[in-house]
Amino acid sequence: MRAWTVLAMAAPEPPHGATLGGTLEVLALFAMGVALVGLVLVEFVLKSRMARSTYRWTLLLGLFILPGVALLGTTGHMFESMKEVESCQSCHVMEPFVVDMHDPRSATLAARHYRSGAIPTKQCYACHTGYGIFGTVEAKRDGFRHWLLYVTDTWKEPLTYKGTYPNANCLACHATSPTFTVVESHGALRQQLANDEMNCFTCHGLPHPARPTRAPTRVTINP
Amino acid sequence: MSMTRRELLQYMSVAATAGLSGPGCIGWTREEAIAVDSWHKSVCRFCGSGCETRVGLRDGKVVKVEGLQEGWNRGRLCIKGLMNRELLYVSDRALYPMVRKNGQLVRTTWDEALDAAAAGFREALAQGGPDAVAYYGSGQLFTQESYTANKLFKGGIGTNNVDGNPRLCMASAAFGYKSVFGADEPSGCYDDIEHATLFFVIGANMAECHPVVWERVRDRIRTHPQTQVIVVDPRRTPTARDATLHLRIRPGTDVALLNAMAYELLRTKLVDTAFIENFVSFRKGTADSPPLTLEDFQRFLEDYAPEKVAGLCGLSSAEIREAARLFGISRAVTSFWTMGLNQQTHGVAANRMMMALHLLTGQIGRPGASPFSMTGQPNAGGGVRDTGALAHALPAGRLVSKEKDRHEMERLWDLPEGRISPHPGLSAVPLFEAMREGKVRAALVMATNPARSLPNADRYRVGMEKAFLVVCDSIFPTDTAQLADVFLPAAMWAEKEGVFSQSERRYHLVEKLVEPPGEARSDLEILVAFGERLGHGELLKARTPEAVWDEWRRISAGSTYDFTGITYARLRKLPGLVWPCPSEEHPGTCHRYVPGEDPLAKKEGRIDFYARPDGRAIVYLSEQGPFREDLTSDYPMILTTGRRLEHWHTATLTGRIPQLQGIPTDYLEIHPGDAAVMGVKEGEWVQVTSARGSVRLYAKPSMRVRPGVVFALMHSTEHLVNAATSDFVDPISAQPEYKMAAVRVERVKEGT
Repeated sequence: MRAWTVLAMAAPEPPHGATLGGTLEVLALFAMGVALVGLVLVEFVLKSRMARSTYRWTLLLGLFILPGVALLGTTGHMFESMKEVESCQSCHVMEPFVVDMHDPRSATLAARHYRSGAIPTKQCYACHTGYGIFGTVEAKRDGFRHWLLYVTDTWKEPLTYKGTYPNANCLACHATSPTFTVVESHGALRQQLANDEMNCFTCHGLPHPARPTRAPTRVTINP
Repeated sequence: MSMTRRELLQYMSVAATAGLSGPGCIGWTREEAIAVDSWHKSVCRFCGSGCETRVGLRDGKVVKVEGLQEGWNRGRLCIKGLMNRELLYVSDRALYPMVRKNGQLVRTTWDEALDAAAAGFREALAQGGPDAVAYYGSGQLFTQESYTANKLFKGGIGTNNVDGNPRLCMASAAFGYKSVFGADEPSGCYDDIEHATLFFVIGANMAECHPVVWERVRDRIRTHPQTQVIVVDPRRTPTARDATLHLRIRPGTDVALLNAMAYELLRTKLVDTAFIENFVSFRKGTADSPPLTLEDFQRFLEDYAPEKVAGLCGLSSAEIREAARLFGISRAVTSFWTMGLNQQTHGVAANRMMMALHLLTGQIGRPGASPFSMTGQPNAGGGVRDTGALAHALPAGRLVSKEKDRHEMERLWDLPEGRISPHPGLSAVPLFEAMREGKVRAALVMATNPARSLPNADRYRVGMEKAFLVVCDSIFPTDTAQLADVFLPAAMWAEKEGVFSQSERRYHLVEKLVEPPGEARSDLEILVAFGERLGHGELLKARTPEAVWDEWRRISAGSTYDFTGITYARLRKLPGLVWPCPSEEHPGTCHRYVPGEDPLAKKEGRIDFYARPDGRAIVYLSEQGPFREDLTSDYPMILTTGRRLEHWHTATLTGRIPQLQGIPTDYLEIHPGDAAVMGVKEGEWVQVTSARGSVRLYAKPSMRVRPGVVFALMHSTEHLVNAATSDFVDPISAQPEYKMAAVRVERVKEGT
């Protein structure tokens, strides 16, 4: 088997070591644990042996400051871990998209980027968050909308990308690569690509399975 | 108004929830870069891939064109496909009819222009009879239009001088299929791509000329990296970059290579003997010649052992053996070819041999196994090959030369017996030669630009100047339109309604979505009006695209082309249907001749070549013919021509799209070694001269071409490459040899 074949078939390895989401989670759990144990100890064991002012300080710490830290930790953890593919996949409607991305026999752009290891982690987030200062805010708003539609069971089939996909997301990596700049078609369409009037996917293929090839995400039970 | 603190908090929380879940989130979506009122299904106007599109309209204009996810192209288009939008609104659209007065084309009314056209034709008919007039059409017209033109000229006027630019493009493939299988058009479909384990691409730069089909091939390679790709091409094209084996053949030696592969397959016994025994016969020359045996074929091939032809082909015998081995051992072979094989004087022989390799190895009629010729235009297959709008043909595979076929058509068209002339008409090159000689006095040219696209074009331009020429095109001016005596402006693509058919025999409906510019009319309306003025209005009873389609469906019924089931209602709903499709319940056929899949294959067993009287496809003993032009010290190099991704044909359309105007088309690819010998540097002008004519291009030294071979694009609008190309034609298909001309390349001295 040729070397590139092996490369093509290999899936990226899971990330090693600490992640920000994991660290924040540990921090939040630690703060909650310390607060709970501390409060029980202070209230039922140490109260009589403490000065009044120390008692108040420990209460302040256990009731407000440590929960505050825990709140920050959990919120941060949530924000961070929502970037993981697993979190998108946790809504079952996203299953076909994630399964396709992990499929070594799929030719979609998502699967190809995944296989090549070009985006080693947080693959959904990497392509579905716009660049610029509002990118993350918009992505969070999209995510919240998706979540609301999911929990209220009000999404519409088939799932479609709403609006125009920003080419800037593709160009952020590709625009300066020689394989992109050498193509004269790209130069000819510079203006249209910059204005999102034409889409990279039109020539380079769909990022996810085409609508007719996807099973409906909602199971309809016929009476 | 008074409010308690509790009430205030309640109101605020309700407002916040509503704001978040209402306009804040649920109602909020990303905006479209181009606002669209309505989306409509359509098909790309350009090449023979036939990509299905989604067209966005706003305020009566096409504002967006995308690939259709439901289509075979799965949402993909190439840059030309995207430009379908710009195409309708280019500056040089033809807006009003014109007639030549005092040597100048001047604006006139439709009535006057049509009267003038009819008068010119009547005069020619009076002077020279029916064969003094001709129709030269295009693979870019709708099926209804080509069908109507064919009917008007063959059934009405009574001449078989009906030909068109498909003669320049895929006539060799059409003759190849017809002579091998008894019926024209490929037997497989695009779905074979997902099953093939070897792609054998010969004489086709699909990555540039059929890019969306090639992307589907690349998807196969990406997901099944063990897939093999053999590319046979003198140039290292973008297609060849995907090859596992690139055979850089010397132009014009394809038959020798394919014969050598057949020799090697038989020597190594990598052939399907059961298939050969049951479904194949061997012949030489024509389909009705006496049958030969496999042993005769083997004896014939002894002259084509890889060692014997390697030198001629410019390859090593090991490469040829390896190609044959891969062909023989692969589970499913799909071969693709197009102009590289067709546009040579051995075009039909090469086509026959390509099909023979599939027949010898039984690589046909299974998923992934198919000899597949691509077409170059959006409707050369359906419009011209199927409707028989060529000089030798009649609708649905019938032939002018066969009395039974003529009588059938006369009956179907309600004509008196003997109305259709028994003499095949003039094919493209002889047709324009006859204009030069004054034998053909008037011609109607529709949706094509022969003044640029014919080989040795300057010679035939004289004929166009001499004849009474009625030109109908959607662009003005074109080189041909400037020679017209009457010019008629035509609508195009989504400005009119009709049916296109692409390489895999898929019929698509193109619906009318917008109004044509100025006074332009559909080619069908023009043909009907013109026919009426010539006194053949009775013949053209069907006058709307749907009525003509229904008539054409009736005519196809019972033939090997049966598409009775492809109704307008189904075409409106579905992204195309692949024929044979004999009933409205039939889903269309991917693999022809396969019992159980093809409704016309009635026999039991693996395959049924029902279009052949004996049910056997033919392997022809095909000689590698001599070169028509020997390389001499005057003309020591070979000029070969082709296309690039961003432009199409004579660039009549793409050359007018502003975004594509910056894409260079005027260069000559030359091997750096040859360039160094001539002392030519990149960007310097060179003169390419053949025995026929000369063209000036700038040099682009490139390792893409073999030493001794130069390559030019056919697109240049300023420099006429076809002044130098060869107008020798294939003896069977009459297709000219654009792919090979002996030339001399000289550096142009500054100031000359």
